[in-house]
Amino acid sequence: MSQVFHDIEKKILETLQKLPNQTPEQLSKNTELSIDQIRRGIEWLRLKDLALVNESEKITFSLGPNGLDSFKNGLPERKLINLLKDKPKTFEEIRSVLSGAGFNVAIANAKKNGWIKIEKNNSDSLVSIKEKPVETPEEKLLSLIGEKTISQEEVSNPLAMKILLSRPNYIVQTSQKSKTVSLTDAALSLDTSISSSGAIDVEADVPSVFAARTHPLQDTIDEIREIFVNLGFSEILGNMTQSSFWNFDALFTPQDHPARELQDTFYLENTESKNPASSSQIKNVSSSHKKNWKYDWKLSESQKMVLRTHTTCVTIKHLAEQKPDNARIFSVGRVFRNEKVSYKHLVEFNQIEGIVIGNNTTLRDLMGIQKEFYKKLGLTKIKFWPTFFPYTEPSLQTMVYNEKLGKWIELFGMGIFRPEVTKPLGIDKPVLAWGGGIERIAMLKYELDDVREFYNNNLSWLRSA
Amino acid sequence: MPVVELNINRIKKLVSGNVTRKQILDVLPFLGLDIESEVGDEIRIEYSPNRPDYSTDYGIATGLQGLLGIKKGIQKNIIKKKGKFAIKVDSSVTKIRPYVTGIIATNGKLDDVAIKQLMNMQEDLHFGIGRKRKKSSIGLHDADKISFPLTYTTVSREHKFIPLNGNTEQTIDEILTKTEVGKDYGSVIETAKNVPIIFDSEKNTISFPPIINSALTTVTPNTKNILIEVTGIDKEAAEDMLSVVVSILQTAGFEFNELKISGNKNSTPQLKEKNMIYDPKFTSEIIGIEMSLSNMVTCLKKCRLDASIKGKKISCMIPRYRFDIFSPMDLTEEIALGYGIAKIEPKLSPSTTIGQKNDVTIKTKLLSQTAVGLGFLEAMNSSLTSKKTLYESTKRNSSEIISVLDSKSQEHTILRDSLLPSLLDNLSKNIHESYPQKLFETGVVFSKGKPIDESTNLAVIIAHKDTNYSEIKAIMQSLLKTNFKIISETKTSQNQELFAKGRHADIFVNNNKIGEIGEIDSNILENFRIRTSVVGFEIKLSGLIFD
Repeated sequence: MSQVFHDIEKKILETLQKLPNQTPEQLSKNTELSIDQIRRGIEWLRLKDLALVNESEKITFSLGPNGLDSFKNGLPERKLINLLKDKPKTFEEIRSVLSGAGFNVAIANAKKNGWIKIEKNNSDSLVSIKEKPVETPEEKLLSLIGEKTISQEEVSNPLAMKILLSRPNYIVQTSQKSKTVSLTDAALSLDTSISSSGAIDVEADVPSVFAARTHPLQDTIDEIREIFVNLGFSEILGNMTQSSFWNFDALFTPQDHPARELQDTFYLENTESKNPASSSQIKNVSSSHKKNWKYDWKLSESQKMVLRTHTTCVTIKHLAEQKPDNARIFSVGRVFRNEKVSYKHLVEFNQIEGIVIGNNTTLRDLMGIQKEFYKKLGLTKIKFWPTFFPYTEPSLQTMVYNEKLGKWIELFGMGIFRPEVTKPLGIDKPVLAWGGGIERIAMLKYELDDVREFYNNNLSWLRSA
Repeated sequence: MPVVELNINRIKKLVSGNVTRKQILDVLPFLGLDIESEVGDEIRIEYSPNRPDYSTDYGIATGLQGLLGIKKGIQKNIIKKKGKFAIKVDSSVTKIRPYVTGIIATNGKLDDVAIKQLMNMQEDLHFGIGRKRKKSSIGLHDADKISFPLTYTTVSREHKFIPLNGNTEQTIDEILTKTEVGKDYGSVIETAKNVPIIFDSEKNTISFPPIINSALTTVTPNTKNILIEVTGIDKEAAEDMLSVVVSILQTAGFEFNELKISGNKNSTPQLKEKNMIYDPKFTSEIIGIEMSLSNMVTCLKKCRLDASIKGKKISCMIPRYRFDIFSPMDLTEEIALGYGIAKIEPKLSPSTTIGQKNDVTIKTKLLSQTAVGLGFLEAMNSSLTSKKTLYESTKRNSSEIISVLDSKSQEHTILRDSLLPSLLDNLSKNIHESYPQKLFETGVVFSKGKPIDESTNLAVIIAHKDTNYSEIKAIMQSLLKTNFKIISETKTSQNQELFAKGRHADIFVNNNKIGEIGEIDSNILENFRIRTSVVGFEIKLSGLIFD
């Protein structure tokens, strides 16, 4: 609980510490605060368990018209006794003095008090004093109140009050509800002076602000890029729109392969690359296809423009053009698949793909690079399984154990480019190649189970991821 | 990837020996098979299209026997040559489906599970090697229902027979227009007047390739002898298919009898093993492990190949159905598999090269950092977007639209030529989030060129009730000045649908236009259901901060 007080709270606390149990009105007077400020301050203190509010009801009594008359002239029964002091009187005679309802009341009460006796004659009744009429409790009460107002506590004989209350217009009863404020024990010993140092409520809630930031998926791409740069790899870029020649033919994918169909690959409408590659590259690649796949290779198929289905087309083109003797190269970027979008499939996603040519290019080296990469991502439980890719031989895939999901997850694929891929492009040395999707790693990192979240640009996610 | 369903107890029986469930599950991945699911004794396995022999439990059991060391080397198949079985090919098939091949499998037995698996395998073969039955297709028949010799010829579309799973005679035309397979694969024979057909010697229709078999020769659990026929437009692909079925039926316990094939450039299949000489240096050069020749021979045999040492090299015999093996590099992989991928130790050799990021990456990152410093959140949108977002909602000129063919997603049909429309779409989807909203994106945009030009753009957008032209201009100038020291100016521009009249400009650097800036027009905002003021700009970075 905060010990920093508003000025209002402070004034109320200080006043009550000096004089406990005050009504709001008293507090207003003593603190010189408005009654509204007092009410607010009391409520704040009450919520902080510092103040107690005692609500009470105060009842007071004063005399009504009949009561005042009786106080001055006596009750009707006392008036009757005064009439009878000298001698008994008939009803007739009494009525002439005590008129109306007063007569009945006087007779009834005097009789009840045992003051009078009534003898019946033929024509009238005769009333006489029976014994000495002493002062009744009601009469005592009347003289106590007199012209004052008394509180309930001052009434010594509640029964007499009850009797008088039952008689019309004798007593005026008023009831007034009132509040008094007191402090809890904790509040009594509080030192309110600390708040005068300019301290504020440091525990109160504040409005949210959001950090501007780079996209979480971009952060993952950058992290992975950084790891490969540190492993000696240099980055190359290439177009997302590619000729089928570089996306498929150069990678030994036969022209009637199912992966090349419209239903798997995005072809650009009415767009062709007239010269996708040099004439010798086209000649060598086509003869490799004819020799090994034994079919009629067509230039027109290789000229069709596609959205790249992998970044391998970028690295193989680089190799074919630069023919480096010793290089570590990688490329990262968007790739495309004509798929139905779902929680695990996107039509467009990011892939990283790298190659090693030159020294230390065995399968064991390839596995070593992968292992180091995963280690830098904090993934240490990995294993390799054989798999199949059309353009590498041998081919492996990395399996990474995910503790949270409790299962092995397939991550990057890798292999050594087939001679059928490299030889026609004039590359004589073995080329290690590896690659895979980045979203899958980012999903593990951000604990997402729907890959679409990365491209929804949902601000509540971006602001909190 | 194709999938096969297996029962683990059946596999155990087929592998024989005292193999345990755990051993099987542990070794399957090392055959290149991914276990997709495991429910009780039923497991679903994904196999690679280059190994169609793994489409049945017979093929998988053969592979497991090898890696577990229970049986090694090739399963020899002996094809009996003598017999009455023959098929003659008529020259009329030349133009439509010129090749047929086949064999007779004898003295075997298939239970319901095996028949079902064979049918699934057939479909996978049709899809993969057969290229949806176009290149080659397969038919299995009860040979005892057939009078040999057969004839492979063509018939008119009025020809009638009872197709497989049917009760009444149907004409070829009816089959093509009324049955599921007819509708699915009818395109393979296009509009040819006469279609391929196989008759027996009594003129009974046996098969209408590549569409459907005749009901007459249906294979059941009582079938003892099977005719396998494969037709196609590629002789090699047809024999590839045949060899896979033969290897499976052989494991299932069948023997084989030759089907003599003659006529029209067709010949009897030999299904002979292929010999390949392997240079052992590949093992150390490619895998990176030192191994004796005899050890390599063992590894190859564990992969169900035959091998022997020949001087300093290895002579390897490859069964016909392993047509995925092209060159010695494929044998290197077989040696690695036989050796055990799990036993190969990764090795981290020091790099002899220094890594370097691309200039585009470095400078784009610098720019992003400034944008974040100015309070902007980075958005990432697809390059493939919809006509609605890119052109209709923004009223932008769509004359240079670049579309992809047959997209399965309505949201992804055209390549973006600008980044701002997607950012507006992002604002549109976040109207319930707190303002101000400030976004930026760097990304590739596409335009028609040689044949497609790609360049990198930057777009920035601000949405809140008090934003205006001055705010976005200040941001734009700051972004270009920080790090890059580029001084930009804005010049009054022609009216544009995207921006509010009189509140937009062209952005110039050294008298070259690099982009546009302004307050987004209220009609456009209405199209995106945005109820606050929005300002933005987009510039081309290619040619400005990198090439």
